[in-house]
Amino acid sequence: MAFREINGKMVEATVAPGQRLFSQRGAMLAYQGEVSFTPNMAGGQGGVMSMIGRRVADEDTPLMTVEGSGTVLFGHGGHHIQVIRLSGDTLYVEADRLLAFEGTLQQGTMFLGSQGGVMGMVRGQVSGQGLFTTTLKGHGAVAVMAHGGVIEIPITPQRPVHVDPQAYVAHHGEVRNKLSTALGWRDMVGRGSGEAFQLELSGSGAVYVQASEEKL
Amino acid sequence: MFRLQSSKVLAVDMTGDAVKAKNGSMVAYDGEMAFKKLSGGGEGIRGMVTRRLTGEQMTLMEVKGRGTCWFADRASEINLVGLQGDKLYVESSNLLATDGGLRTGTEFTGLRGASQGNGLFTTSVEGHGQAAIMSDGPAVVLRVSPQYPLTVDPGAYVAHQGNLRQSFQSGVTFRTLLGEGGGEAFQMRFEGDGLVYVQPSERNTIAGDV
Repeated sequence: MAFREINGKMVEATVAPGQRLFSQRGAMLAYQGEVSFTPNMAGGQGGVMSMIGRRVADEDTPLMTVEGSGTVLFGHGGHHIQVIRLSGDTLYVEADRLLAFEGTLQQGTMFLGSQGGVMGMVRGQVSGQGLFTTTLKGHGAVAVMAHGGVIEIPITPQRPVHVDPQAYVAHHGEVRNKLSTALGWRDMVGRGSGEAFQLELSGSGAVYVQASEEKL
Repeated sequence: MFRLQSSKVLAVDMTGDAVKAKNGSMVAYDGEMAFKKLSGGGEGIRGMVTRRLTGEQMTLMEVKGRGTCWFADRASEINLVGLQGDKLYVESSNLLATDGGLRTGTEFTGLRGASQGNGLFTTSVEGHGQAAIMSDGPAVVLRVSPQYPLTVDPGAYVAHQGNLRQSFQSGVTFRTLLGEGGGEAFQMRFEGDGLVYVQPSERNTIAGDV
């Protein structure tokens, strides 16, 4: 509701008094009406302790608070933008892929090691995601950036999905993920198929995959 | 079965059969899949020798299994090509995936290849089935008939199929030598009956600089 896709690379957000938005700093392209942009030292919500948490976790992408009444256009770096609507579930996404989200969502930081122990940490390193990831929970919309468009693949208990770690964008729902390796003797002798590591997602929810293997 | 999930993502539904795809281009899959590296230049000993000689560094992998597999590469636009026994010529860097039953090989292209900055060899795909080719921006398919030959900028050429003769044409004049060229010194000319795929973007070629 708050985000409207203008085209594949731009979204329009509506702000009204009492409805805050958070966006990546510098992602505003244009606005109409009385809108103020406040750099957010805490990098999001939840006070000083969360701020320290994010700093430690290196998930402290500079954010700004958008308040007032009017419409704002967001876009960044010519990346494709996908609007994801959440109704009570949790979205897991990298902080630097986050373009904007509604203030009604609760932002948090999750330690990947807490899901899958040591393998969780290994997974974070291999997929280049680091040891922490950002979570958004509640009701509202999120605008996520990706290189070259996004497809949504549903995950059901009967249908686990494997994703190339470099093409992974975000996922939501009750999903367990683990790093599966398909390392064989071929990879050892340098004749691998280039698909040695995969992220296995199982449970119920959806995963967003970009049409590219480039990080932002 | 090849289908386009979006203009930049190819979805392949598989029931135990195999497809060949560019190394590392899988972005996601469900079901059971196995990935095995193949190499360009064709199968067997002959293919191996061809690879050594031509330096055609295309690496393909074989994907086999049950379920759906999604492929994408650097956000390139994807075009599906159906082959009924005819031959598709494509730059190896523009080939994303083919049906397992299609034969892939390496062909000598002569001077044209060098002008495109792609080396002297190109990849051919032959048989009955589908292939997916990539282009920088959505490609247009241009029909060539005996009455209407087609001339293409080497940097914008992606692939061609059908019964076509190609020749290399140069528009070098004394102006080009003086450094006053229009940037279109070399062209590829197609004559005969077939289809040519052209992308709305130009690779860096020697021809573009003069």
